[in-house]
Amino acid sequence: MKARKAFAWFMISVLMLGLLSGCGNAADGKDDGKMVIGAAMPVFDDKWLSYMYDAMKKGAKGQKAELKMVDAKNDSSKQLEQVEKLVIQGVDAIVICPVDTSAVKPMVDAAKQADIPVVVVNRQPSADVLEKVDAYVGSESIKSGTMQMEKVAELLDGKGHVAIMTGELGHEAQVKRTKGNKDVIKKHPDMKVVRQGTAEYQRAEGIQLMENWIQSGDNMDAIVANNDEMAIGAIKALKSAGKLDDILVAGIDGTPDALEYVQSGALDVTVFQDPVGQGEKAIVTAVKLAKGEKLEDKMVWIPYELITKENVEKYVERWKGYDENKG
Amino acid sequence: MKTEETIAKKQTISHDRDRTGWKEKIPELFSRYGIFLIFLALVALMSVLTPHFFNVYNLINVVKQVSFIGIVAMGVTFVIITKGIDLSSGSLIALVSVIAASFAHPGDYPLFVPLLLGVGVGAFAGLINGTVSAKGMIPPFIATLGMMTAARGLALLYSDGRPIGNLSDSFLFLGSGDLFGIPFPIIVFLFVGLLMHLLLSNTKFGKHTYAIGGNEQAARICGINVDRHLILVYTLAGFLTGISALMLTARISAGQPSMGVMYELDAIAAAVIGGTSLTGGIGTIPGTMIGALIIGVLNNGLDLMNVSSYWQQILKGAIIVTAVLIDSRKNKKA
Amino acid sequence: MKTEYLLEMENITKEFSGVKALNNVQLKVKKGTVHALMGENGAGKSTLMKILFGMYRGGGTIRFNGEELKRTGPKDALKKGISMIHQELNPVPFMTVAENIFLGREPSYGKTGWVNKKKLIEDTQRLFEILNIRIDPTKKMKDLSIANMQLVEIATAVSHHADLIIMDEPTSAITEKEVDHLFEIIRSLKKKGVAIIYISHKMDEVFEICDEITVLRDGQYIGTKPARELNQDSLIQMMVGREIKQVFHKEKAEIKEVVLSVKNLSREGKFNNVSFEVRKGEILGIAGLMGSGRTELIESIFGIDPPTSGEMYLHGEKIRMKSPSDAIRNKIGLVTEDRKLTGAFLPLSVKENMIMSGLDQFLNFGYVNGKTVKRKCKEQVKKLNIKTPNLNQLIMNLSGGNQQKVLLARWLLNDPDLLILDEPTRGVDVGAKAEIHKLMSELAQDGKAILMVSSEMPEILGMSDRILVIHEGSQKGELRREEADQKKILEVAYQ
Repeated sequence: MKARKAFAWFMISVLMLGLLSGCGNAADGKDDGKMVIGAAMPVFDDKWLSYMYDAMKKGAKGQKAELKMVDAKNDSSKQLEQVEKLVIQGVDAIVICPVDTSAVKPMVDAAKQADIPVVVVNRQPSADVLEKVDAYVGSESIKSGTMQMEKVAELLDGKGHVAIMTGELGHEAQVKRTKGNKDVIKKHPDMKVVRQGTAEYQRAEGIQLMENWIQSGDNMDAIVANNDEMAIGAIKALKSAGKLDDILVAGIDGTPDALEYVQSGALDVTVFQDPVGQGEKAIVTAVKLAKGEKLEDKMVWIPYELITKENVEKYVERWKGYDENKG
Repeated sequence: MKTEETIAKKQTISHDRDRTGWKEKIPELFSRYGIFLIFLALVALMSVLTPHFFNVYNLINVVKQVSFIGIVAMGVTFVIITKGIDLSSGSLIALVSVIAASFAHPGDYPLFVPLLLGVGVGAFAGLINGTVSAKGMIPPFIATLGMMTAARGLALLYSDGRPIGNLSDSFLFLGSGDLFGIPFPIIVFLFVGLLMHLLLSNTKFGKHTYAIGGNEQAARICGINVDRHLILVYTLAGFLTGISALMLTARISAGQPSMGVMYELDAIAAAVIGGTSLTGGIGTIPGTMIGALIIGVLNNGLDLMNVSSYWQQILKGAIIVTAVLIDSRKNKKA
Repeated sequence: MKTEYLLEMENITKEFSGVKALNNVQLKVKKGTVHALMGENGAGKSTLMKILFGMYRGGGTIRFNGEELKRTGPKDALKKGISMIHQELNPVPFMTVAENIFLGREPSYGKTGWVNKKKLIEDTQRLFEILNIRIDPTKKMKDLSIANMQLVEIATAVSHHADLIIMDEPTSAITEKEVDHLFEIIRSLKKKGVAIIYISHKMDEVFEICDEITVLRDGQYIGTKPARELNQDSLIQMMVGREIKQVFHKEKAEIKEVVLSVKNLSREGKFNNVSFEVRKGEILGIAGLMGSGRTELIESIFGIDPPTSGEMYLHGEKIRMKSPSDAIRNKIGLVTEDRKLTGAFLPLSVKENMIMSGLDQFLNFGYVNGKTVKRKCKEQVKKLNIKTPNLNQLIMNLSGGNQQKVLLARWLLNDPDLLILDEPTRGVDVGAKAEIHKLMSELAQDGKAILMVSSEMPEILGMSDRILVIHEGSQKGELRREEADQKKILEVAYQ
């Protein structure tokens, strides 16, 4: 019995020490007077996001702030722990790019209890969470879907059969982009979704799905994909079946790879979401909030941009610029 | 009086019956070719359900699609027969893919360089898997789980998280070329399948693979160098994964660090559907090839019928479990 | 229908992979009596009890307290009033004595599932008081001596308030004083009308405590008699039957030059300074109890676990065995003691089981030649009279005897000079046993040297030309066939 009690006291004191030292660290962090921004990012191994991270790092340097960026490895619960840790460390503002938009609430709550301003970037949480956060920086997912489909509709003269290739099922972008696509189709009575299937955002799966669709013999006028990788997959399959010339292909993201396909005329439409714009704006907003300044609007929109063969060169240059910055 | 055997000791009458009647042969035949019959039934079902399924083009299409996972599954079959498991194949595909792609730009290196590098990297990773689990006495589940994470990380590191495109035409042939109208991946699939079948069923290497999975202790007593053999088996699995990764890279014409996610599970599924037993000592290459084809036919047929993606997942899961269930029940009877 | 019997088991039959472990056995136990169940090792006593306790399924009917017992498992048996003291102790080492006794039926506060520790300890103390056991209920099980664990096990069985308690070798681990204690407990239980089935090898115990005795032999029911109508000799007669003198197919073989000679072989902690030689045409028996180091000795000879010191000579040349493949290359074969654990490849076919240790002889440019395999395996099947429908049959579908023959064939295919057989007829039925013995004689006549380990005294005496006696890791002596008998061997072992 004695031993058990002693153990309990031991545990308690360990916990107390942990808390105290946590506070101590926070104080240390502020010693040099530098502002500290915490950034809870969903996953480091993502190409598009890596440009956003670079922009954030660069932005922080420009603002003379220290950036503490952590990787949740696509695990929501891990991200929550990381945010809690940032709170304990006493950072001046936290930027969150959620792993899962439906799981942001506890993270925001944790930060708000410590009166730390929160900026959510890139992935838009639901309205009740948005109310609590200090700012949202990003693009409206659904808009990329509508923008993409509007261009496709224009190119098809408002009529035709459309097949939609969706990303990983249940993913926020998959749901919204697909909805954006369908909203536009509803406005055109002569347009119809003939097929919808998932290729999990992957090129290889895109090829396979397209091959099977070709075999079905269905008449399709346009393949509209949730991202560029799947669109490229569809292009590959269509090309080897000799059907690329008759069918429109559209993607989203505007990755450098995809731009090459736009240049060659294989990819007709893609939508550019600006990682650098989002990254920079997120940091600027966070620093402002940390300094206690007021924002004009808590929703900071970075608009999508439509890419077609006509304007593709501009974006090729832009990527080149981003890459040079990186080096 | 400790074991069943000692209880059976000093038994009165031996109850061996000479069972060679034709009636007993039917279950035996079914047990040997059961999964093949299930496969044929599935093909027949798909043919009835959709008019676009049963024609040469689509069938070639299906076989081509399963070639990639099929080759990986053959290596996994060897591994599972030894009572092991390989979780690293999916990530290994990504690693091989980015390394090979970076050496396959037009005019850079002769074709054999990316090819040898690709299978070499695969085999080397397999060698590590095998050595860690055999010599380090770490369960293969853990050893290959470690490789799964590490290989994915390496792939991302090597490629800086970005696809590596601009590959030479000769390299692209691996994934999208054809010989006499037959897609190249199918030729490789069948050729490797034949080789692996001969290796597993008719060579010392193959017999020892079964022996180790059937009873590792007994295998040691039969003079088999178990550790060395296990290392070779994992190396072979890595080598085959390398081949598949090269073809897949050519198919998508880019080396991608995000490639092959969850492929290890598809490969294991193909082997298990094909009758490979996770308890070791049982499995064949033709079975695994059929297993891969079953998965392929399901994917293709459900896509053709325009079944919703949600339902596809549910149906696929249900059909795979049912197929294995039928197969294992009849095995018990035989 | 009223009956004087508490328990009636009839026509009980149980098969293990084709071998009948019990054949139409009956057992009837009266209320308030101690009933001994006797028989040699492997007679089927434990199997019968496991069927009664619901651990095995089997054919036949069981009536308990006049109603038919549905055998769904131990839990049900306990509920009906049958409890069992198992031969092997199964304590949960890190739990207390009290927790072990009431495992799975701990007293709790109402229906909360929260264990009432106080009551748990009190209940245990009360139980121990009745049984006159002095053990602290709060002690961890792992801290008890084996004898005390045995007592806890007995207390556990009593605590179920059973009408029938099965005691399977309850005295195997306890001293004489504790045996007396146990008998006191048994007598007081008897007075309360509890019946006890008592399994033991110790004749004096049986005659002291038991009222009736049922004898099993080779899975058959031999008979039930009141204890006072029997004496030691007549009981042995019942247990052993007429086959007291087993016939061994020992043929005269010409004994020639030395094949293997072992000098001062030792492996630390296992065996010490063992020296012997075995010649062409000779069967050398190694006698010793389990744990005497005999299996470790032959494992060292075969290179599985190399010796720490000593020398081995094969055909006069010094050799070192670093692995089984060295031994195989030197034409040595080993049939191991435990078929399932270290012998058979259970998921593989008869054919594959046979060829696995000598694949090289079947290779044609690296390719296993199916025809040669078939021919050579068929020869073995015929020669050893292996009963299998075909070579592709899975070995696990064969009976123990035929499995053992397949494993013998595995080594015979290598045409070894020295064959090491560890328990060559363990778990093998009588017919196959005789065949294996005959084969051993023939092999010796063919000029093979055979090293045989066996726990069965008749087998050692019947088959060996010379007998090496090993006890607790050291070599106690050597006996010639002519001078050896069971008594002599024991004398040598314990000298």
